[in-house]
Amino acid sequence: MIQVENLCKHFEIRHRHKNSWAVLRNFLKRDSSTLKAVDDISFSIQKGEMVGYLGPNGAGKSTTLKMLTGLLVPTSGRLEVNGFVPWQSRQKYVAQIGAVFGQRSSLWWDLPTIESLELLQHIYKIPTARFSSNLEMFKKLLDLDEFLQSPARSLSLGQRMRADLCAALMHDPAILFLDEPTIGLDVVAKQRIREFIQQINQDRGTTIILTTHDMADVQKLCTRAMMIDHGKLLFDGALSDLQNRFGGQRRLIVDFEEPPTQLKLANATIISQEALRITFAFARETRVAELISALTRDHAIRDLRVEEPEIEATIRAIYEGNLLSA
Amino acid sequence: MMLYRHLLLAQLRGAMQYRVSFVLDVLSTSLITITEFGAFALVFSRFQGLGGWSLVQIMFLYGMVEFAFGLTDMLFDGFDSPTFAQHIRKGTLDQFLLRPANLMIQIFGSSLSLRRIGRIVLGIGIFGYAVIHNPQVWQLEKLWYLPFVLIGMGLYFGGLFLVGATITIWTVDSTDAMNLFTYGGKEMMSYPMGIYSDWLRVLFTFLFPVALLNYYPALFFLGKPDPFGLPAWMPFLAPIAGFVMFLVALKFWQFGLKHYQSTGN
Repeated sequence: MIQVENLCKHFEIRHRHKNSWAVLRNFLKRDSSTLKAVDDISFSIQKGEMVGYLGPNGAGKSTTLKMLTGLLVPTSGRLEVNGFVPWQSRQKYVAQIGAVFGQRSSLWWDLPTIESLELLQHIYKIPTARFSSNLEMFKKLLDLDEFLQSPARSLSLGQRMRADLCAALMHDPAILFLDEPTIGLDVVAKQRIREFIQQINQDRGTTIILTTHDMADVQKLCTRAMMIDHGKLLFDGALSDLQNRFGGQRRLIVDFEEPPTQLKLANATIISQEALRITFAFARETRVAELISALTRDHAIRDLRVEEPEIEATIRAIYEGNLLSA
Repeated sequence: MMLYRHLLLAQLRGAMQYRVSFVLDVLSTSLITITEFGAFALVFSRFQGLGGWSLVQIMFLYGMVEFAFGLTDMLFDGFDSPTFAQHIRKGTLDQFLLRPANLMIQIFGSSLSLRRIGRIVLGIGIFGYAVIHNPQVWQLEKLWYLPFVLIGMGLYFGGLFLVGATITIWTVDSTDAMNLFTYGGKEMMSYPMGIYSDWLRVLFTFLFPVALLNYYPALFFLGKPDPFGLPAWMPFLAPIAGFVMFLVALKFWQFGLKHYQSTGN
């Protein structure tokens, strides 16, 4: 569905100086350097996949997304989406994709939401039967009824995102690009958006690519994650692999019936102890069952649980420590 | 064209939500035009004309350009530099590019400055009055040419708006400099060329062909001789000048869009 080979996007950055002589010099001589916003990236995405595209601000996420949607022309490399080179046959290509850029709306500001959708019907030439059946479905899934008659400018952020998702899907796109779909939303609204995205992916087989800062988005939605930083693709694979490779230690939290004595476990170290609760840290490869049976042999245990390291912490560690480039 | 209609109607419905603001807008722009013309008429009634042109003859010149410019200004509002700068800044241009419809139609349909209606109506009024009081114009073999002159002016001003929008792709900020050519050109065209010094007149005949668009056609309609002795076919260059201007602007626009797609914003 999506084929990307050695994709690069470089920008010329012009240096500007503050003092007035330099202004003249800038004018006469171009003093610039190259920013490699996307630097030799290759990947392919199959139909029906849901892929999370991660990276800190300025990593090259948006630039990649803009190239995938045909808004930007790459400096070099090959890019094919659904049989199209996005920027070459713009009108034909964009009819088959949907895009939601979290901080921007595709709705008409002063028009009731329903009228925006009707305008999109004209633009995308959606057959009326299809339009109304889609509208019925999205009305239910996204609870649109409460604000369908209100102009976009008066919608809350969550309502606007729901309306924008609906707008992006009315023409049954094969691929949906989502840029920060949950940014700025509260927990409930986030959850609702996620459930909807998941349902679209499952019911319609829509290929979905989403960029996000919110790890929970990726954790709940995506089986595959791609990570980019400084324009380079650092990781591409299952989210659990990312955990396994870089997740570090897991934790075992045990509540004892009585204060334990002579507590010692091979393969695990105590990292905290408060009253009856003791937290052990152990390597990823260590089998939890062995630890538990060793514990229960000598001690009475009331309760225990295993904690995976937070993916967010893992990702942070990757960004900060350059774990991947090492 | 269907889409353009749908988009414009949507724009109207949107604008109607701010009825008071709309009415005030129309009133204030009409008032500006009335004052402008009032001052203009006052001066001419004192002097009984200017450079061999009577008041009604000047009204012909003034009304024709006022109408053509008003209409173009209204239709090309999406390309008007401040509006277009917003399209770039707020990412609406990206939204347009993400939709399977002609980009220019979407921009045309994105904005219609209805407040110009006052100016257009006044232009028609002044022009109509001038036509009635200039019997030389009442000839079928002259009147068929009128729509071509109006279209020529529309294309010329439209081209200027397009150039202004394209420059905005680089500057991102609205460019006031273009007003020199749009509003300035319109002001210039409202007066007979005879009042300008020779170098200005030559500049505005051959380099920026504003004299070709309004002044020379007006000479033809009013049956006045050309005081500068240029060939008799000069009045008929108006549609060609407008067309060439628009074509050049269109090329520049396409070049600008290419640049936009390689740099983003």
